[in-house]
Amino acid sequence: MAKSPQKKSKPTKKSSGSVKPPSVKQQTSIFKNSPIYDLLHNFEKAPDQWTARYVLVMSAVILRATIGLGGFSGYGDGPMHGDFEAQRHWMELTIHLPLSEWYFFDLTYWGLDYPPLTAYHSYILGKIGSFIDPSWFALNASRGIETNPVKFYMRFTSLASELIFYIPAVLSIANLMGKKFNLSRMDQIIISLIIINQAHLVLIDHGHFQFNSVMLGLFIYSLIELIKKNYMTASIWFVACINFKQMGLYYSTFIFVFILSQLKSIQDLILVGFTVIFTQLIILLPFIRDPNNILQIVQRVFPFHRGIFEDKVGNFWCTTNVIIKYRDIFNPDDLPKLALISTIIAFLPINIILFFKLRNAKHLTPGLIYGFAGNSFAFYLFSFLVHEKSILIPLIPTTLLLLIDPSQIDIIQWINNVGSFSLYPLLKKEDLVLQYAVSNFLINWLIGPKLLLSNHNLFYSLIIKGSYFLMIVYHILDFSLPPPQRFPDLWVILNIAISFGAFSIFFLWLNYKVYKLKVE
Amino acid sequence: MADGVRTQQIADSPYTLLHIWFVTLALKLLLFVGYHSTDFDVHRNWLAITHNLPLSQWYIEDTSQWTLDYPPFFAYFEWFLSQLVPQIVKDDGCLDLVEKGQYGLPTVYFQRLTVIVSEIVLFWSLHWYMQTSKKRDHITFSRSYVVAASLVLSPGLLIIDHIHFQYNGMMYGFLILMINNARLKNYLWCGFWFALLLCFKHIYLYLAPAVFIFLLRSYCLNLKFSKKANIFVNLIRLIRWKNSIKLGLVVLSVFGVAFLPFYNQLPQLLGRLFPFSRGLTHAYWAPNVWAIYSFLDRLLIQVYKNLPLSHYPLQSLFEFNPLLLEDESLISSSTRGLVGDIEFLILPTITPQLTFYLTLFYQVLALLPLFYQPTFRRFLGALTLCGYSSFLFGWHVHEKAILLVIFPITFLVSRDKVLLGPFNLLVGCGYVSLFPLIFTCNEWPVKVIYTILWYIIFYFNFRKVVSIPKVNEGNILDRVINGYILGLIPLVIITTLIDIFENKFEFLKKLEFLKLMLYSIYCGVGIISSFNGFFWYYFIYDSLWID
Repeated sequence: MAKSPQKKSKPTKKSSGSVKPPSVKQQTSIFKNSPIYDLLHNFEKAPDQWTARYVLVMSAVILRATIGLGGFSGYGDGPMHGDFEAQRHWMELTIHLPLSEWYFFDLTYWGLDYPPLTAYHSYILGKIGSFIDPSWFALNASRGIETNPVKFYMRFTSLASELIFYIPAVLSIANLMGKKFNLSRMDQIIISLIIINQAHLVLIDHGHFQFNSVMLGLFIYSLIELIKKNYMTASIWFVACINFKQMGLYYSTFIFVFILSQLKSIQDLILVGFTVIFTQLIILLPFIRDPNNILQIVQRVFPFHRGIFEDKVGNFWCTTNVIIKYRDIFNPDDLPKLALISTIIAFLPINIILFFKLRNAKHLTPGLIYGFAGNSFAFYLFSFLVHEKSILIPLIPTTLLLLIDPSQIDIIQWINNVGSFSLYPLLKKEDLVLQYAVSNFLINWLIGPKLLLSNHNLFYSLIIKGSYFLMIVYHILDFSLPPPQRFPDLWVILNIAISFGAFSIFFLWLNYKVYKLKVE
Repeated sequence: MADGVRTQQIADSPYTLLHIWFVTLALKLLLFVGYHSTDFDVHRNWLAITHNLPLSQWYIEDTSQWTLDYPPFFAYFEWFLSQLVPQIVKDDGCLDLVEKGQYGLPTVYFQRLTVIVSEIVLFWSLHWYMQTSKKRDHITFSRSYVVAASLVLSPGLLIIDHIHFQYNGMMYGFLILMINNARLKNYLWCGFWFALLLCFKHIYLYLAPAVFIFLLRSYCLNLKFSKKANIFVNLIRLIRWKNSIKLGLVVLSVFGVAFLPFYNQLPQLLGRLFPFSRGLTHAYWAPNVWAIYSFLDRLLIQVYKNLPLSHYPLQSLFEFNPLLLEDESLISSSTRGLVGDIEFLILPTITPQLTFYLTLFYQVLALLPLFYQPTFRRFLGALTLCGYSSFLFGWHVHEKAILLVIFPITFLVSRDKVLLGPFNLLVGCGYVSLFPLIFTCNEWPVKVIYTILWYIIFYFNFRKVVSIPKVNEGNILDRVINGYILGLIPLVIITTLIDIFENKFEFLKKLEFLKLMLYSIYCGVGIISSFNGFFWYYFIYDSLWID
């Protein structure tokens, strides 16, 4: 039984002429002793692995369905309710009104402010729902409807959307990367499971209620095409992604840098550019008859008048706002410019380094994912109009880093935990504390505390353990004491301070990793 | 492979129920906020009764319609739980003796938690079962893991305990303690756990004949006649007196502890435990013989009404009162399956005695081989058949009672492939027949996807660990069985579609009863077939039943 464990922890491609026996690969799985591996070990033999995939998908569905039993944003909180009502309202208005009125209809009550693909998506779901029961989406009459069947239907739509767009995307990128980086089938399945069941996305999409998974799924498809070097297909997916939710723009700088660094000739550039414009045109085609419509869409989708951040976010502006009151110092019109400049400063180093490193084909895939993670973190930390749910955007490429090097699980799961933690004040408002606690416990327990606290580097270990400790202290405080009268927001500020600290450190870590990305 | 290596492998192997417990814990916690049935209020009321009243009043009290009708140990258990109720839950109305419970989330959290905690008995008993299998070879151990995992993950327990609300996990934990003690030949413990179980929930009386015969034959009787002694001495030696007295003392003291404190209220207590005023079938027919019988009656009514030609033969065959058939309200009420005085309009009425004799008949049939061959596997087979016959022929059977069959049979199937057919049919139809119990839409994905997931996992895992069949049966039968089980999918789809479009198309509302009937009939046919298959193997293939 004595197989010498391979000293090489990094599964970089080092294939010499010899053929590797497949059993060696399985020996090196770093998840070997984690609970998740134990649970799935009955499927580790090749003929059973397809069952493991079904287990993965179905358990993901069960998790989401049970999370969905809980509250949603704005439940029983009239007259405006919350995101759930907004999504339902969009289904209602798109099926009853002509296209030209979609972006103009009663803007004070959840006027449509997402790009056209969300509108089309709402239209389809609204049509199906209204076929089952027209009262769910009756124009105006259905406002604020919260009955069990409509709740179930809405939950079902988010579940189905995720099953169509997000989960297959994660599975196929795991498959693709698995081949590239020699991950065993079991590792691919386990990593997909970890990516898919991250608490933050599940809680926001199926607890709070939104359709982020669609946007993220489209982004991952775009990523897959980028890895395969099909830049035109990739840009189609990407345009679809930002046309589903404008937050996808967090990824846009890097996709631009990346494609620019890869193109061999001006011809290619024109082709890609043309694809982008053409796709965008097709998406906007139904609106194009009236230029007013296009203008209105742009104004609705980018509401620069709203403010530099919404609610309480663990980013630079909101956290430092405690000390420096930006709204008093600066003219409101200058704030977007300030945010823009600082975002550019934040993402510039990564992009410059990667622009040169990416020319070396060996670093293509790692560089690609590090680039997306770094850029979207820069946007989250410094850009304008960020809200707490935006953390999902940097976290997805970050979690995909597991496919490059699973041994970074401690840091990656740590930042994912911080991400879920930063959503806690929002979830608490919506009675999702139980769901928050359970889903976080579940994913961390599956990976196992041994792996999560395995970092041997003193510095990282200190930061990871320290911030876990702070988060636990925070939860004890929040659970046992009401905030002091004078500072009703004190606990929330504490939360964002911890989150911001962790996010900034992680952002620096990403920069460091990109810098260290070796050229051989 | 060397022996040392093998034991090392077993020791290091990742087979443990702990991980499963944590994962299912997450699922169960998330189900807190979902649907729960009136059984929740029943148990809440029992908490209130045992907490607020002296022992003598427990079985008399009837403020609420949910009177205490479980045996004393369960009442003690509720009393114990009521001592643990924290103040915040008390303020929520958990312990109020009222007609209808007024409670909020704290009570739900508390009671749901007690179910999860009490279920540890099940995990612990199966963990012990696995530990005692460890001493044998690796394959026995991995079989025991599959058995244990399939039971703790049972969709039946999830649906009944954690959505619907009951404490079956703990009960079946006791049952498994009994079974494993029988396997290890600790007969006294076996008797102790079963007596304890009976004093918790008397539905397990259905399994009592098998336990009784097994203990009698293997512990209390000595059928070896010595030729040297005369017949009189042999007759005295027939009974192992020491063993019998020990076992009798154990069982009697358990029952004594349970029932003696209620000595003065014994008639009321027994009246509560065995109410004979209920109907043959439940509002939703449990998928058994009577479901098919009721269905035939409904069918004949339609034949009678629409085919004048059939009047004479039907009349002469069943000798029913045709005047009753003219009363539309009676027909419609009976087609809704409500429990009434008259359940069958054409077919002969079924009396409680008849169901009792039928059950007894099949149980005795199962017990005879056990008496001649008191092996552990025979014992499991007899337990299974006792469960089957009481489920299929019993009076006022609940669909939940299917677990009485599923639990013992699971310990048998891991051994031989031929039993997989009846087993798959049983668990497929048995678990699906529990779906109508949870009728709320939000829980739909949980119950359906969870059951499918469970079935896929254990369909393959049981196939992997069973030994090569000793008896080579045709593959055709397996295919028919798999086909029938796949037929459950359209069944669920059709009934779900009826549910979904109920508000849109008026006529679907009238099909409400048809929906339940479809479940009962389809699952009923499946379970009866699995009973036939199992019965066949029980009597024909002797080699299956040797330890």
